[in-house]
Amino acid sequence: MQLTKFNYDNKIVRNFAVATIVWGIVGMSVGLLVAVQLVWPFMNFDLQYTTFGRIRPLHTNAVIFAFVGNAIFMGIYYSLQRLLKARMYSDFLSRVHFWGWQLIILAAAITLPLGLTTSHEYAELEWPIDIGLTIIWVVFGINMFGTIIKRRERHMYVAIWFYIATFVTVAVLHIVNSVQLPVSSWKSYYLYAGVQDALVQWWYGHNAVAFFLTTPYLGLMYYFLPKMANRPIYSYKLSILHFWSLIFIYIWAGPHHLLYTSLPGWVQSLGVAFSIMLIAPSWGGMINGLLTLRGAWDKVRTEPTLKFMVVALTAYGMATFEGPMLSLKRVNAIAHFTDWIVAHVHVGALGWNGFMTFAILYWLVPRIYKTELYSKKLASTHFWVGTLGILFYAIPMYWAAVVQGLMWKEFTPEGVLKYPNFLATTLQIIPMHMLRAIGGALYLSGALMMTYNLVKTMKKGRLLANEPAEAPELTPVLVNERAPHRRLERKPILFLVIALITILIGGMVQMMPTFMISSNVPTISSVQPYTALEIQGRDLYIREGCVNCHTQTVRPFRSETARYGEYSKAGEFVYDHPFLWGSKRTGPDLHRIGKKYPNKWHFDHMLDPTITSPGSIMPPYPWLIEQTLDASTTKAKLNALRLLGVPYTDEDINNADADLQRQAEAIAADLNAQGVSTRPDREIVALIAYLQRLGTDINNTPAATATND
Amino acid sequence: MFKQITDLSGNEWYLIASLWIFLLFFITVGIRLFRMRKDDVDYMKSMPMDDGDRQDVDSAN
Repeated sequence: MQLTKFNYDNKIVRNFAVATIVWGIVGMSVGLLVAVQLVWPFMNFDLQYTTFGRIRPLHTNAVIFAFVGNAIFMGIYYSLQRLLKARMYSDFLSRVHFWGWQLIILAAAITLPLGLTTSHEYAELEWPIDIGLTIIWVVFGINMFGTIIKRRERHMYVAIWFYIATFVTVAVLHIVNSVQLPVSSWKSYYLYAGVQDALVQWWYGHNAVAFFLTTPYLGLMYYFLPKMANRPIYSYKLSILHFWSLIFIYIWAGPHHLLYTSLPGWVQSLGVAFSIMLIAPSWGGMINGLLTLRGAWDKVRTEPTLKFMVVALTAYGMATFEGPMLSLKRVNAIAHFTDWIVAHVHVGALGWNGFMTFAILYWLVPRIYKTELYSKKLASTHFWVGTLGILFYAIPMYWAAVVQGLMWKEFTPEGVLKYPNFLATTLQIIPMHMLRAIGGALYLSGALMMTYNLVKTMKKGRLLANEPAEAPELTPVLVNERAPHRRLERKPILFLVIALITILIGGMVQMMPTFMISSNVPTISSVQPYTALEIQGRDLYIREGCVNCHTQTVRPFRSETARYGEYSKAGEFVYDHPFLWGSKRTGPDLHRIGKKYPNKWHFDHMLDPTITSPGSIMPPYPWLIEQTLDASTTKAKLNALRLLGVPYTDEDINNADADLQRQAEAIAADLNAQGVSTRPDREIVALIAYLQRLGTDINNTPAATATND
Repeated sequence: MFKQITDLSGNEWYLIASLWIFLLFFITVGIRLFRMRKDDVDYMKSMPMDDGDRQDVDSAN
């Protein structure tokens, strides 16, 4: 048979590898900085740009989309070419993809510290960057499918199914969760509000974990683990079963992030049921990976790459056991909003994603540089330092979570909260946060060792930019294959469509009734839209990233109603574009903060939180007191919100500036009467207006009742 | 504990229907698996081992 000669593009793989290392170090360093800030708030250097609320999203975005994102592309560009026996479809598209992706990361690194954020977790980037991301994702898709179309291998290996599912699902998630109405070049409002926005966000958020941190990595595992162990995957049939089950089930599990909130009960239950089922396909992948090493365990002793892979798979198994467990409502009641969730995601991120990335880098860099790894011993040291780092990270976090979760719920025999002051529970776990920072520092130092090792390796060898290969061209199919899946394995577009349908089912069953049947979100007649000043204050709350530490949803537990007040109802959030329920309580819930304290309390608290709460780890926000509110956007914002369904009248909008001024003057006058000298045009005034409004509407008219119409 | 999935005030059918959808989906995939030939499975399994270049021979040694 005639063999065609061609070249694999190794240069693009090298570029993504370098980007993975660079952004990995950046992302982990920012992570270490935010960890330290939770012990010593002054580590924000008194700058608004480096304050926790703004750079925590920078850390998550850098690690997920920059470190893991580049690692995914590195692995896909290496394995896809070889599994299909074809060079990437277009070198030009490869370059556009690479530089476009780095540009998006750079845009994120600039805009997030500036406070330009949508507040949706892991989707914080504002609309212009969202559009850029969409374009680059399509470029990646065209390049991948172009390569698949011109392949020299008829059937697509299991890794490629995972890549296809990743591509199509991330596209769907990103588009649906980014439907925003721009107000200005860097500000937009989400189409959805309140409960519906929460459902969409966590459908996205959970499946970002599924289809950005899990499925592409399973694909990489299916290619690189057999290469490293030099034996085929344990069971191909298991891979088919767990692939389809995984992508089908994962998409349903999002509502487990919203248990005990005002999301309709049946959606919560669906989320729980499918989350529990999810353990089966997840463990299918882990078992398939670990059993691939049967008969090769002796290699694990000597090969650092396999050491990393074994811990990565074990961490995957632990995280995917923990996920279903945390979805049980009784467990969730204690664990949610605590450090348990932080520990859970870090077992996944540090163990599964991080360690597999390190393994692939150690395996791949010497190969494309045609040399040996500079030091296996240093790689082994990295492995042990990294493993210790994970343990030092996770164990203190679990400890902190259980301690704090139980303290929140503890009552005295007299029937009152034992720790009525939230801060007491925070101070209790500070030592654990210190240990966590040490764990993070260990992990980062391991990554630095790897960088040194790989740079030395690159210097020792020489990049084989175009690696020669040969394979016969495909001939037309003459016999119709009997097995349907066998046929599907050579039909990439059909495969894409079936994967798309599979992932759409869950989202549709959960979302369509929640959006279309009004009884799912009972309205409350006394709940009114925010005033112009409150909207501006709310946008400051979003800008400063308050949602990263404070929730706005009181769950229907005695321990929460005793601490915060009446539990939150769905109808209270109908004008919240976006919802700001949050996912972590580093500080107390704020849904019932309105009118709880005088204006001056809030002023003092923002000037220096330790004035009102001695020992507080919240950073001070003096710039809110100094900076003038940009009120020029008020009318545009109200108009945009009206377009999205908030019932502002023409009068509201025409008088917006005067209303804003009047309300600001009243608050400033009250502050001045309390001995604080401030002007009504300062940002602090708008923020106080918003905070004082929060959760107060249901008390407005005694006859306020929920209606089902 | 099962109250949370049985007491859904008339909305149980969402849950029941969803589980049925999954069961049917799972069985369909299962049937397809049984209809696969061993040769095909072995061929697919061995795919990562053959890259079309000389490197694999080197790394195996």
